[in-house]
Amino acid sequence: MIVLDEVVVRYPGAQRPAVDGASLLVKTGESVALVGPSGSGKTTLLRAINRLVPITSGTILVDGVAVESLQDKALRALRTRLAMIAQHHDLVDRLRVHQNVMAGALGRWSSLHALRYLAFPLRGELDEARNALARVGIAEKLRAPTSALSGGERQRVAIARALVQQPHAILADEPIASLDPELAEQIVALLTTLAKESGIALICSLHQVQFADRYFDQIVRLEGGRLERLKSSVA
Amino acid sequence: MTQLSPHFFGSLLVPVGQTIGMACAGMLLALVIGIPLAIAVATRAPGARAIAAGLSALRAIPDLTLAILAVVLLGLGPAAGIAALAVFYTAMVGKVSAELLLAAPVPPVDALRATGSGRVGLATFGLIPAMLPDLLSFGMYAFECAMRASIIVGAVGAGGIGTELVGAINALDYARAAAIIVVLVALIAAVDTFGIAVRRYPRTGFVLLAIGVLTLWIDRPQLFALSHAFVTFAKMLPPQLSLPELGALPRLLWETAAIAVVGTALGALLGFAFGLVCARNIVPFAVVALVRRVLDTARAIPEVVWGLILVVSVGIGPLAGILALGLHSGGVLGKLYAEAFENVDRPPVLSIAATGASKLSTVGFAIVPLAWRTLGVHTLFRLEWNVRAAAVVGMIGAGGIGQALFLSQQLFFYKAMAAYVLITWAIVLAFDAFGERARAARLSAEGGRPRRRSGRTRARSRTRSSDRSLCDGSAGTGRFRERPPFEGRAAPSASARRSGARKSRRSASRSMPPNASARYPSRRRTSPVPRAP
Ligand SMILES: Nc1ncnc2c1ncn2[C@@H]1O[C@H](COP(=O)(O)OP(=O)(O)OP(=O)(O)O)[C@@H](O)[C@H]1O
Ligand SMILES: [Mg+2]
Repeated sequence: MIVLDEVVVRYPGAQRPAVDGASLLVKTGESVALVGPSGSGKTTLLRAINRLVPITSGTILVDGVAVESLQDKALRALRTRLAMIAQHHDLVDRLRVHQNVMAGALGRWSSLHALRYLAFPLRGELDEARNALARVGIAEKLRAPTSALSGGERQRVAIARALVQQPHAILADEPIASLDPELAEQIVALLTTLAKESGIALICSLHQVQFADRYFDQIVRLEGGRLERLKSSVA
Repeated sequence: MTQLSPHFFGSLLVPVGQTIGMACAGMLLALVIGIPLAIAVATRAPGARAIAAGLSALRAIPDLTLAILAVVLLGLGPAAGIAALAVFYTAMVGKVSAELLLAAPVPPVDALRATGSGRVGLATFGLIPAMLPDLLSFGMYAFECAMRASIIVGAVGAGGIGTELVGAINALDYARAAAIIVVLVALIAAVDTFGIAVRRYPRTGFVLLAIGVLTLWIDRPQLFALSHAFVTFAKMLPPQLSLPELGALPRLLWETAAIAVVGTALGALLGFAFGLVCARNIVPFAVVALVRRVLDTARAIPEVVWGLILVVSVGIGPLAGILALGLHSGGVLGKLYAEAFENVDRPPVLSIAATGASKLSTVGFAIVPLAWRTLGVHTLFRLEWNVRAAAVVGMIGAGGIGQALFLSQQLFFYKAMAAYVLITWAIVLAFDAFGERARAARLSAEGGRPRRRSGRTRARSRTRSSDRSLCDGSAGTGRFRERPPFEGRAAPSASARRSGARKSRRSASRSMPPNASARYPSRRRTSPVPRAP
């Protein structure tokens, strides 16, 4: 469960806050579409939730824990529970696909385990990567070099990485930008279904609103940092 | 430690003065000869192509090899050092200044040409004023290189502190040798500092020229003992090797290649380990500051000086050469690798960190893979430089072709010595060509692949192997240091004009495709994102 209460984020030196008093409640298994024009603060809000950006005031609770107070180990533990799919689905080009996918497991692996995996992946670990890729429909790319993937495939690898993380929540930043409409809908369907089935809270920022209504439980709109409710969950 | 008494340091004043004087005098001659040659090339005077080719070829002879030749021709002492530096830096100044002048903006120069101005007018009123900041900056960089070279040419008896160091080592006076090395590192640091001052107040540079004139005057009897030089030179002709010497040649070449390759590998390993613990995005700043000092010191000591130290401790032979190259390269590569780690694209790193990964896992899964290509480029350049270095460290007893060269000089086998000089030259030329091709192959292999997010990725830079091997990249301050030397010439306006109409015309002298250089990230991207804890 994610709770935002009057969250304000102001970048150093910025005149006005990028996020200005946002409040939101997302239950497990629930999916929220975050829409709004470019520069309205969508990315900032998502990054604030897993503390990649510090918040200026307000409170963010993830599973009842206030994220502002977390340090080092506890912060890493928080991030392990929150999977982030970045706007540009930032995969590491030089790695193989399975290595990018299993990066999702880094939160539960020791550093030595992680480095060993880079050099000698075990069969069980590869199977885990393959399963995650199978859920997004590209199991055959397991050993492909990441740099050779198409945009849609990269997107799906990023989602597979999020799945491997076994998160309590997924924060997806415009996961369907620059995809063709058909693929875009597939990905949205995939994410929202996963959320429902696995009891994951999903917050997903979008440019287009087209199919938001069909797939998401809540729709909120950011404009100039302020949050406005377009569709609320029934319950 | 009586060696550290004021008297001892007093006794070093003369050699230190000689070293500085040699560098100044060598550079002075290089400027006097090199700049007119550069103007001839840049204004496309008759024979410009031949001059340019000659300068390139000349530059492939390592400085220490020139020094040993000069010692034979002019006798022991600073005159030999001056001559060697003058030749080496004439080639460098001539070639690089010519390229700088060719990069001058077209319209003003064409306007001058339209007035019917001759070549000298064209150069003095058009080309040189337009490129003056770049020329000055390059000049200072060259001087810093010359200063280092001035120390090491002493190792074969060409005067200055290098000769003093070899003397101390041969006399088994290690305390004195250690003290000299301290002085030497201090001298290099002082030159770096002075370099900053000259960049700020260019007029202080005239002091250097004055010192140069003075040194030339003092050494004039030896410098112009031409008849002796000619007689000795005649003894080198024709260059030839006896049968046993020919038989030993493959082993010597093999040894030199091994020193270069294994030395580079050792340097890469050291550089990798030290680079990781000296990148600001990996370890705390206190550690970075500490490790940087270590790397600075390793880098400040030239390969030849490392070689002198190591020959004493591990004995004569290739092992000393490998360690010497490895330690110096470790210092150079450590710094370059650290910069590569610091310059990786931030978003992928953040996205790995966002999975809750530990620092070390983030390094393994993101930072190292992202920097990998850059590490490869740096290492290849270093290998190329180390081929020269391997040929040169041999002369102080570290095995390979250099050692054979030095022995033949000591035994007055001048014909064999001349042959070894030619062979060294050929090796360096061959490896330079090989490096050039390897790079071209790499680039064309990558060229076809579409790049994502090209807009915000890499700062541009241009570099060619020859430009980097001007000096070994470990020297210098300011514009010519942080990056491969050549990129330093691109003043903001220069890069704008570079992309203009001139490009096609100059493409002969800059054979690198534009996107190629983009693989060589150099400027730090500053991210406005507040650092996540
Ligand atoms: N690192 C930063 N430093 C300072 N200001 C920033 C930073 N990142 C974003 N901003 C500013 O904060 C505001 C919100 O940016 P944000 O990236 O959150 O918008 P967005 O809704 O994700 O836009 P888009 O749809 O284009 O991705 C913008 O005005 C932006 O200029
Ligand atoms: Mg955004």
